[in-house]
Amino acid sequence: MKFILYFLFLFFSVSMGGIGWWLERKLTARFQYRVGPPWYQNFIDIMKLFIKETIIPQGASRILFILSPLVSLSSSLIVALILITDYFFKQNFIADIIVIIYLLIIPSLFLILGAFSSANPLALVGAIRETKQLIAYEFVFIVSLVIVIIKTGGSLFLSEIIERQMLGNIYFKSFSGLIAFILAFFYLQAKLGIIPFDTPEAEQEIASGVMIEYSGALLGFWKISKLLLYFSLPLFIIFLFLPGKFVDIIIKYFLLILLITVVKNINPRMRIKDVLEFFWFFLFPLGLIGIFLAINGY
Amino acid sequence: MRMGNIFIFDYLSKLVGFFIVLFTLLIFIYSLNFIKTKKKEYYYWMFLTFLSSLGVVFSNHLFLITIFWGYLGLTLFMLINLYSDQNKASVAKKTFIIVGGSDGFLLFGILLYIYLTSRYFIVEKPLVINSALSFLSFFLIALACFAKAGCIPLHTWIPEMAEVTEAPTVAYLPASLDKLLGIYLLVRLIKDAFILDDFSKAILLILGSLTIIAAVMMALVQHNIKKLLGYHAVSQVGYMVLGLGCSTVLGLAAGLFHMLNNAIYKSCLFLGVGNVQKQSGSVEFENLSGLGKFMPATFLFVLIASLSISGIPPFNGFVSKWMVYQGLVELFKLSTSFTLKLVILFSLVSALVGSSLTLASFLKLNAGVFLGQPKEKTKEASFTLLISPFILSLLCIIFGIFAFHTILPFIAKAIGEFSTSGLWRPMQATNLIILGILLGFIIFIITSKKRRTSPIFIGGEKIDFQTEAKVSDFYVNIRELKVLKNIYRLAEKKFFDIYEQTKNLSFIFIKFLRYLHNGVLPTYLVWCLLGALWLFFIFFR
Repeated sequence: MKFILYFLFLFFSVSMGGIGWWLERKLTARFQYRVGPPWYQNFIDIMKLFIKETIIPQGASRILFILSPLVSLSSSLIVALILITDYFFKQNFIADIIVIIYLLIIPSLFLILGAFSSANPLALVGAIRETKQLIAYEFVFIVSLVIVIIKTGGSLFLSEIIERQMLGNIYFKSFSGLIAFILAFFYLQAKLGIIPFDTPEAEQEIASGVMIEYSGALLGFWKISKLLLYFSLPLFIIFLFLPGKFVDIIIKYFLLILLITVVKNINPRMRIKDVLEFFWFFLFPLGLIGIFLAINGY
Repeated sequence: MRMGNIFIFDYLSKLVGFFIVLFTLLIFIYSLNFIKTKKKEYYYWMFLTFLSSLGVVFSNHLFLITIFWGYLGLTLFMLINLYSDQNKASVAKKTFIIVGGSDGFLLFGILLYIYLTSRYFIVEKPLVINSALSFLSFFLIALACFAKAGCIPLHTWIPEMAEVTEAPTVAYLPASLDKLLGIYLLVRLIKDAFILDDFSKAILLILGSLTIIAAVMMALVQHNIKKLLGYHAVSQVGYMVLGLGCSTVLGLAAGLFHMLNNAIYKSCLFLGVGNVQKQSGSVEFENLSGLGKFMPATFLFVLIASLSISGIPPFNGFVSKWMVYQGLVELFKLSTSFTLKLVILFSLVSALVGSSLTLASFLKLNAGVFLGQPKEKTKEASFTLLISPFILSLLCIIFGIFAFHTILPFIAKAIGEFSTSGLWRPMQATNLIILGILLGFIIFIITSKKRRTSPIFIGGEKIDFQTEAKVSDFYVNIRELKVLKNIYRLAEKKFFDIYEQTKNLSFIFIKFLRYLHNGVLPTYLVWCLLGALWLFFIFFR
């Protein structure tokens, strides 16, 4: 019974992620005066990958190469499960928000390890960039979460954070909450690897760097993992800053996707050094100001 | 004075004592095949270290602790200096001066404690820190612990020592026993001998968070694996000090647990790197690549320990770091002063951030040494060199997944019952992760029946591994960032090293003395004359 429920949740998250990603692609296409793909494009793309041949590069560490997408997929599954059960059942499942930060690191970590294990120089370049990007955005997201922790008075449970805000005290409406939301938004953009923060994949220069050697079912796992993140990361941010009823949340999810798409289409790709400087020397100090405001109750 | 009081056998001492025995055993097994020359001296000093460590842990009389503590500085010096060359000798001297000098702090702090309380035992009645003198007494003893464990400002000997000394020695002293002892004494102080006020808590928290960030930033840009690990040996102490700085039961338990975990994974890492050094003859990133193919077991153990130290769930490092965060949040809820709250949040941010930086630098280690295209063939290390890393990495997993059933009950007995306000179910999460991986693997096997290997794709260009992006320059643009550029430059000139600064200061003083003692007779005669005139002035004015 429980497993069927979990399965339904996961099915729901994957399809929502697919639709969200489609929305981003479609809007981008419209911005560029193209027609854009139909709504089921992502799903058939992934299905196609599972009937294709899998190529494993020579000189790769096979076990790590095959294991990486699987570990990444299962950790994003857990994050999606935690978020949804916390919201619907108002009970705490497995982990508090600090654990969620760490669980969210795992997909990126294994993406990097998978890239290194493929022994491809272009993947190496991509992986190095991904690592730098990881430490860049992680700084900012941590500060944003600390602001949330201050505002809930030291509670670490997601269900409690949602409950408190449902009583009418939405964090998004306060100064520090707004700052934290902005930080979390840039984290989202960078974590999903969308322009201006798509340096690790940069198709034009390093041929989708970190994933260059992946093909067939293994690439399919990466795509599913990305679909899950496409849904669960915006969901997490909505839970933290502006939760509401179920329909509200779905609407806010699409609005967030819209915002991501707008930022994507009006910016060029940043160099990795600029990404680091933007996150460390601009957003991080902003976050520290946010912490200061939050302690004072603004 | 009753004999019963001189020694103490409570749960805390027994727990730490047990781990001292365990680590000695593991390092002994490893050394059997690693140490080939000067065996007698090596084992003699190792055994003496073992005995005096037990002495520190089980003694209750303050002077007895000081004596055993002093012995440890000596054995450390001798172990570094065992295979003497010019480089090691200067590092050994530096270590001896820092660790030995901190013994002076310890003695002074203890004398102050005795003066204030007129008690000679560490476990009797705690002293409330409410005056400058009582704070000074606590701080001086804490400085001795910092020097041993390697916390800012007395940490500088660890990275340098790690670079030049043999792997088992580094794994034995700074990585495991020194951490056990330094943090044990600090736990003992905070639990039984002192009651901290807000100011001393804040000092500990600030020092802890500075240690985490500064050391890990230095570790990012290292080219030598052992030095990189040495900086991490410093950085991890920051988490322990943060836990202890909370001075709640939860915080103390977190600090103690993190110390045990750190000793486990850090000695595993040093032993693994020792294998790499033995098999390939180098510990420089530039000479190593793709060893994972030839040394799969070593790679597995190092990878597990790296994931643990980076705090990736469900390994052990995560549980203790998570407990440290819980301790900080709990202290945040309890505290009333605004400054302390600010300091707590600062430490929380730097602890979380430090953990992702740790992950970044361990990715560099694993990628640079074990992954990528291999440069030359090597063989896996022999069986006896793999036993100890195997047991240690097994402990990493057990203390991670089954933390709440294996080690934490013992820590609760040693420190006191504690409850966390957060939630982490490692077994459930691990089950789900394993289930996910298995399902995925089955799907992979079923769907991708067509599999083949082919050469790597690099856009049709020829591979030239000489010009390939080098892993040793992994974080070279971090060094070139605006603000950090100057800090790194100063740090590499050893500007932040207290030992070097003191050395420079004393050289200025010596220069003045040298100027006076120039060996020319008239100068000395002038000094005699001036002295005589001054005496005349004093006596006959």
